[in-house]
Amino acid sequence: MKQVDENKLAKSKKRKQSLAFFMFGFIGFVIVGILLTVLSFIVFKGVSVISWDFITKMPEEGMTRGGIYPAIIGTLCLVGGSMIFAFPIGVMAAIYMNEYVRDGIIKKIIKQMTNNLSGIPSIVFGLFGMALFVNKLGFGDSILAGSLTLGLLALPVVIRTTEEALKGVDDTFRHASLGLGATKWQTTRRVVLPIAFPNIITGLILSVGRVSGETAPILFTVAAYFLPKLPTSIFDQAMALPYHLYVISTSGTNIEESRPIAYGTALVLIIIVLLTNILANFLRKYFGKKVKMN
Amino acid sequence: MLKLESKQVNFYYGSSPALKDINLEMESNTVTALIGPSGCGKSTYLRLFNRMNDLIDNTKLTGEVLIDGIDIYKKGINVDTLRKMTGMVFQKPNPFPKSIFENVAYGLRVNGITDKQFIEERVETTIKQVVLWDEVKDKLKKSAFELSGGQQQRLCIARALAIQPSVILMDEPTSALDPISTSKVEELIHELKSKYTIVIVTHNMQQAARVSDHTAFFYLGELVEVGTTKKIFTNPTQEKTQNYITGRFG
Amino acid sequence: MNHFESELGVLKKDFIKMWELVSLQLKNSLSALASMDHEKAQKVMLIEMEVNDLDLKIAKSCENIIALYNPVAVDLRFVLALIKINTYLEKLGDIAAKVSKFVIKSVDPFYNDLINKTQTLAMFEEACDLVDDALIAFKNNDAKKARDIFKRDEFINEINKTAFLAIIDSIKENPANIEKYLKMINLTRRIEKAGDMSKLIAEEIIFYIEAKVIRHDSK
Repeated sequence: MKQVDENKLAKSKKRKQSLAFFMFGFIGFVIVGILLTVLSFIVFKGVSVISWDFITKMPEEGMTRGGIYPAIIGTLCLVGGSMIFAFPIGVMAAIYMNEYVRDGIIKKIIKQMTNNLSGIPSIVFGLFGMALFVNKLGFGDSILAGSLTLGLLALPVVIRTTEEALKGVDDTFRHASLGLGATKWQTTRRVVLPIAFPNIITGLILSVGRVSGETAPILFTVAAYFLPKLPTSIFDQAMALPYHLYVISTSGTNIEESRPIAYGTALVLIIIVLLTNILANFLRKYFGKKVKMN
Repeated sequence: MLKLESKQVNFYYGSSPALKDINLEMESNTVTALIGPSGCGKSTYLRLFNRMNDLIDNTKLTGEVLIDGIDIYKKGINVDTLRKMTGMVFQKPNPFPKSIFENVAYGLRVNGITDKQFIEERVETTIKQVVLWDEVKDKLKKSAFELSGGQQQRLCIARALAIQPSVILMDEPTSALDPISTSKVEELIHELKSKYTIVIVTHNMQQAARVSDHTAFFYLGELVEVGTTKKIFTNPTQEKTQNYITGRFG
Repeated sequence: MNHFESELGVLKKDFIKMWELVSLQLKNSLSALASMDHEKAQKVMLIEMEVNDLDLKIAKSCENIIALYNPVAVDLRFVLALIKINTYLEKLGDIAAKVSKFVIKSVDPFYNDLINKTQTLAMFEEACDLVDDALIAFKNNDAKKARDIFKRDEFINEINKTAFLAIIDSIKENPANIEKYLKMINLTRRIEKAGDMSKLIAEEIIFYIEAKVIRHDSK
């Protein structure tokens, strides 16, 4: 090839490269821009209502005044409850699928079902929860019923992230353990789970983020429209942030007057989700350091 | 004394044969190197001896695999017990996410040993056996991941030795190590030979030459030639072997 | 010590044993020649078999070490030097055997006088010393001592030259015994060869210690 051609080629290659870089960079900035716009809009609108009173006081005067304390507590209860339900079951299911079942029809069926479960619209979970937990099992509109419903919703996420975490554990760890005469369960408990733990925790917290923002499943199972007191047992009804937001922006006693409160609520919800994500990152790094591979 | 033996072994992944009619005998206290190009079946063959291939779905074995004259694929053989007789060392150093001490103690603990003093003694002697003691004696409680790659691999060997197997299976134990660590592991193999029967799979022919007493050359699932390492590397009888060890394969 | 070094150690041990045997052969044949002692000469022939076995064993070991351990740098030079020195030693053994054969065949007192006249024994003694000194240089990795051997080989060559001239003179005086004189020339040339072997060995020692090839250098 001639020298001139090579120079030309190099130039054209460089041009194409800069163009591609520009495109990707541009798209990246657009995405960040959209996110920042949404966030700053909410922050801008909501920050004025946020105060210590706002997050620690009961709502007053038909939710046009006062705080959202019970909704925050309600959401925390629901998130906690759903995780107590979904986490062990999800992790166990994932362990069963990844460590015990051999490739075959059973594994395929379970996997397909899990995928289907995650594809069901959340309002359907709400209806199902109402039918089973509220009516059939007689829990009534309660934190228990809501937690179980949200738990069902979170289950596929927990199963899938746990499975991915387990898959990420190199097989030689299992072989090394089994090679020492350990049983499958010893291997899973003492070697595989500790290595997969950081990623399992991350999955768990991401599903917390998902659950805390859901409105539909709690609509028929737990959420109270206006309940200016804290729940005292798992059979109590409770307020929840997403539902509260929904109510005061669509069917409140005075929508116009409670609009600032709606933005404040939205901001609090976003902050909670943001905090869980930061926590997820932190935990992954913290535990990840302990089992760092080289 | 005959330690490991395979008679007419055929092994299939699904319907494709991975090993064809392998007859091989290995004496006690010798090092046998399995060499051959990738996919020749040498690793599969190695894993027959601790039944690691059982973990893979859809495989089939015919023929006999014997340790101390006992067919280890016979009905009624307890796989966990069998695996205690063999220690395995892997390609990449893979210490467990535990302390240095617990890594070595692991094999004892999962086999139900709880006597603290016994475990401590065994861990110490085993780490000394792999010539790692002076390097780690002050940080036994520290994570095994703090060690260098070469140290990790020697720790993994110690982990395998702690349950006192009679056979050590090594699957390319130095392919992820630097030359200095490699020669340390090779020296270790020489020292361990007096107590164990060692089978080592290696891609590095020079390593096979350096560490082994016998060399078996596998190609496309067949055992092409086996003999003393000196013979294989100075005057192999098969042309295929000659071409492979001289790098003229193709 | 690692495994390779210990293998090398075993080889070196065999090798030094070979060297000492060859040295013993030479000394025995020297004293056999000095006293025209047949029994001593026979002994040399016996050792010769042992030397030949060792020669084969060492050659095989060198081959194995190169094939199995791929020695490099000083280790490689050491093994290469060993292979060559081994050949030279084997030839030295042959020389000792040939001298012994001479002793066995030559019952004639005629030679005694000739041996004295040509200083053959002095030459042979020096040749034996050179083999021993080369061994010491080898054992101690002493290149300087190896270099000394060159000069001393010159001395042997000088004796050989005068011996040759002396025999030529004798042939002129007494042409009837030409066959015996020629045999004598053969003998002195063999002994001179022994000195050359030591020189070649010294070259190999310097090669492996200093990585210098001095074969074709002017002296």
